[in-house]
Amino acid sequence: MITQHLPALIILVPLVSAFIILLLGPNYVRFARHTAMAASVVLTVFALLLLLETTQDGTIRYYFGGWQPPWGIELYIDRMTGFFLAIVSSINLLVLVFAAGVLEQEIRERVVAHYYALFLILTTSLLGIAASNDLFNIFVFLEISSVSAAALVAVNGNRYAMEAGVKYLILSTLGSGSVLLAIANIYMVTGYLNLTYIAEALPAAFAQYPLNIVASLGLIMVGLTVKAALYPLHIWLPDAHGSAPTTSSAVLSGLVVKVYIIVFIKFLFRIFPVDFIEIFPIQPNLLVMSTFGILMGSILAIRQTDIKKMLAYSTVAQVGYIFLGLGVLTPNAVIGSMLHILNHAIMKTILFLSAGCIIKLTGIREVNRLEGVGRVYPLPMAAFSLGALAMIGIPPLNGFVSKWYLGLGALDADQPFFVLIILVSSFLNGLYYLPIVIRSFFGREPRFSEIKVLPIGARFTLTALAVAIVVFGLFSALPVGYLEPAVEQLFAG
Amino acid sequence: MIDLDLVKLWDNAFYGMAIIIFLVGFWIMLTHSNLIKKIIGMNIMETAIFLFFVAIGYVQGGAAPILDQQGVSYVNPLPSALILTGIVVSVSVTAFALSLVVKLYQYYGTVDANEIAYIRRNEE
Repeated sequence: MITQHLPALIILVPLVSAFIILLLGPNYVRFARHTAMAASVVLTVFALLLLLETTQDGTIRYYFGGWQPPWGIELYIDRMTGFFLAIVSSINLLVLVFAAGVLEQEIRERVVAHYYALFLILTTSLLGIAASNDLFNIFVFLEISSVSAAALVAVNGNRYAMEAGVKYLILSTLGSGSVLLAIANIYMVTGYLNLTYIAEALPAAFAQYPLNIVASLGLIMVGLTVKAALYPLHIWLPDAHGSAPTTSSAVLSGLVVKVYIIVFIKFLFRIFPVDFIEIFPIQPNLLVMSTFGILMGSILAIRQTDIKKMLAYSTVAQVGYIFLGLGVLTPNAVIGSMLHILNHAIMKTILFLSAGCIIKLTGIREVNRLEGVGRVYPLPMAAFSLGALAMIGIPPLNGFVSKWYLGLGALDADQPFFVLIILVSSFLNGLYYLPIVIRSFFGREPRFSEIKVLPIGARFTLTALAVAIVVFGLFSALPVGYLEPAVEQLFAG
Repeated sequence: MIDLDLVKLWDNAFYGMAIIIFLVGFWIMLTHSNLIKKIIGMNIMETAIFLFFVAIGYVQGGAAPILDQQGVSYVNPLPSALILTGIVVSVSVTAFALSLVVKLYQYYGTVDANEIAYIRRNEE
């Protein structure tokens, strides 16, 4: 009975819990934490159930309120979406476990309860964007995600975070504005907002009104790449991800940027058939932008002295990888992109969380002052190192697997140039990650006036993510086996 | 090539105007350094999209979509209903952006992005 409503529940559970927290007000911090945690546990279970269900039945369709499409709003969970829902809910749970005991030191006490509510609202919007099959519904969730993400950046209360928040909000509104105009154009020529129906009506509409379709493709491309921070449009990202509280940075870099790529995939595969995309210069554009993104993101990261800013620039490069796979557009490359969404979510979360721990424990933000920190605080530094090695793409770790598939995909498409780009970028990654690792473990041991202890939740999360890095590296057949049919499904339309 | 058909252009003047207003808003957002003006530009841009959306549903001489008489053409109600949601979203984004700008003004004493950047550079 209840399993039938799982797709709706996965959106409603975090939303309702967020409002319960808000209703009680800022004084019930413990209650807020427990509610958020309970909601996330439930969410993760639901997402995993959905994941299992998609492996058996393929696509799950859910009609909100029983209204049939094209009139009602439809939730559409195919394998790709199920995959993303599982990533979002489990990373979300791990970050919330981490937050207990750490969050209170980073933001004012008055806003801690509200922070949990905002966090759940952000999760709601991510899940909603991924699951929805209705363009306008996707737009509304997009706006919810930009507002709540900007709020999660600015919640710090310091002026850098405020400034980054304003910048982020304005640019992401620009992005969603473009997407809305594209949606208007699509609705205008097809008369539908449901993706499945649009896909059916599109070829006829294209014969009659080609300009609207071309305009909407361009607007989607601009809008979503601004929001996903593909290279020349990434300017908001380093400030926003660098100055946000630790837990916000982890989620923003690990999950929020990716959800716009999922929307992009939906537009590319679900609405516009693959042979259709080849008429327009979307692929060449994506390839150029992502190549520059991969190289420039890494080069800019090398120049950073602040550890969180460095990680933020590294995200710009990694977003480039994911778009590279979509630009190459062979099955293996798309598998690589999807895998990188998973692997980068794990790697960037562990990197941001452990960097946050190190900043909290030592008070050092500068990269070159981290000498010997690993000897005093082995756990966060070991977690950081593992994440860094995975990011470079050392073989048994998960970062290697997604780069491998991206490389395979590029070779399938007869474009070995991009394999070279991936290799060069791995080298550049090594150039800024390895010195930190080496210096922190082999440098002189620093003297701290007091040795602080990490809360148990933080230790648990770092260990779990580290295990995930190794597991998804060694047993990469697991996600790949799930994704192969998912990508087949996408290419079949 | 697209041949310019003035009658067709006039019939679609709604859309043309909406695009012009959209570009005005876009321009303001990108070129002005005053944050309040940026937010105003954001609103102009969104208003243009709303106009565009509502114009899609408009039928020349159409009645309000109340289904009690036969054989009358109706204005499509869906875009208007959607844009109602869009306006709510836009208002909340504006409110939030303005509140952040107020905070920034308290910190820096200015709402100009260039001046804020200048102050920050001098601090470092």
